[in-house]
Amino acid sequence: MINRLHVNLAGIELASPLVLASGVMGLSASSLERVAELGAGAVTAKSCGLEERKGHPCPAILPFGFGLLNAVGLANPGVDDMIAELRTFRLQSDVPVIASIFGKTVDEFAEVAARIAEAQPAMVEVNVSCPNVAAEFGRSFASDPALVGEITRRVRGRVSDIPISLKLSLQCMSIAEVAKACADNGADVITAINSVGPGMIIDPNVRRPVLANRMGGLSGPAILPLAVRAVWEIAEAVSLPIIGTGGVETAEDVVQMVLAGATAVGVGTAVYTRGLEVFSNINSDLHVFMQERGITSLSDLKGAAHV
Amino acid sequence: MSEYMQAYQVKRVLTHNPGLKSFRFDRVIEAEPGQFVLVWLPGVDEKPFALSGVFEHEIEITVKAVGPFTSQFMNVQPGDWVGLRGPFGTGFQPIEGMVLIGGGIGNAPLRYLAQCLREEKLVFRWVIGVKTAEDLAFREELESMPECIIVSEDGSIGKKGRAVDVLASMNDNEPIIVLAASGPEPMLLAVHGFANTFSPDIPVQLSFERYMKCAVGLCGQCCLDGTGLRICVEGPVLSGHQLQGVTEWDRPHRGPSGRRPQD
Repeated sequence: MINRLHVNLAGIELASPLVLASGVMGLSASSLERVAELGAGAVTAKSCGLEERKGHPCPAILPFGFGLLNAVGLANPGVDDMIAELRTFRLQSDVPVIASIFGKTVDEFAEVAARIAEAQPAMVEVNVSCPNVAAEFGRSFASDPALVGEITRRVRGRVSDIPISLKLSLQCMSIAEVAKACADNGADVITAINSVGPGMIIDPNVRRPVLANRMGGLSGPAILPLAVRAVWEIAEAVSLPIIGTGGVETAEDVVQMVLAGATAVGVGTAVYTRGLEVFSNINSDLHVFMQERGITSLSDLKGAAHV
Repeated sequence: MSEYMQAYQVKRVLTHNPGLKSFRFDRVIEAEPGQFVLVWLPGVDEKPFALSGVFEHEIEITVKAVGPFTSQFMNVQPGDWVGLRGPFGTGFQPIEGMVLIGGGIGNAPLRYLAQCLREEKLVFRWVIGVKTAEDLAFREELESMPECIIVSEDGSIGKKGRAVDVLASMNDNEPIIVLAASGPEPMLLAVHGFANTFSPDIPVQLSFERYMKCAVGLCGQCCLDGTGLRICVEGPVLSGHQLQGVTEWDRPHRGPSGRRPQD
């Protein structure tokens, strides 16, 4: 039987286009393995930096009816612990695992990249777009095409032949311009988009913002149209494969992303809105969608909405 | 009440001792015993607490001062606004003949379970273990309940000893058919071990605790190594069967960064 869901992402063979997005069930080998077993084509670990970070106090993740507002604040156990988790995962699973990294400076990005490459992940995703650490990290790197290009070039030089993806944000003048800077500096893949905003929710009785960080990135179904538009614009600007991420919950959402130009599709907040079964549910619905329309490969749909 | 944040005014505070209090809110919830709510103390933090009681017009949590959050919570007064969301996770299933066993503040959710068992007119026994008499909330209520056997490690209340040590003689008295436990992890594992000495083993419902950020199965903080089970969704109440394959029992729990303190 042919696997209609198979995709090739920058040379990596995925049995499904669904990629567990970073920040969800991504702290440990065991949680990643559970998601892999449930049907993800690839899984992305939690973003890690050089040192351990506790992140922001709670509330840090807040459902509000149309998705989530989150300000976890790049909490992570540090690159050493993450290397160990990735190695454990790779011993137990054949599903490709994507490492995610961040840095406070360009040098730090390069250093974390060099370290995480020791774990031999299938790909290194470079998170230049966390919106929730403004006070500490200054403006998100993702708003500056030249800076993102510089990070891309430096990371590229430190991970030998492991493909790299830059995870971009809508908080910039033109996401297409940022994507071009990535392409020009050796990126293999673009992941778009990170959470949007930041936004704020104030409790009317407490009279304070609810998130401990006061504001946080918006994710979930509310941002799907923004993500589809971003993928569209990136696809118009560069020929790199794209992991279309943002608000995807159903097979139809996946098809939208692919029609806009995505090769693979990130799934994150849907683990909350639809449960962990979201991976197997989308896989089977997508298979039926394609079968009914005689589509044998997702690559036939890729970018097809651009006319 | 739901997974969305909503603030409620504290209606009543019951002081068991200066570091152990129960807080009541207007009833806003349908919950199983053992399920938990996230409690937001504005300006401080948000933490999970199992309900210690659900009444006609009120719900209740019981808090023991053990860290910065719970210590600050001792200052909460009637009329203060506190954020609540939930209930989250799995609960205990009340069963005829159930034996409850609690350690310290772990007895709080069992109080709600006992309440449910009584309402359903199910027979039960409850071993209440504390370090010392001061750690016992609702002392008068519990001492007057014929189902309760109170033990303390220092002998300051009830028989001297640990709760788990009572199980063998209880079983000699009347065979235990199902166990519900809540308390420190070594106690839970000892209960599981006791249940496994029988053939077939005694079914257990064990309530576990882990640091968590989201309570909706997303952040991965509370996933158990070995199986990836989420304490916030598949737990906090796990069956003995769900403990199989878990590899982290002898390791320190992951903290807010996701890192385990050095073993």
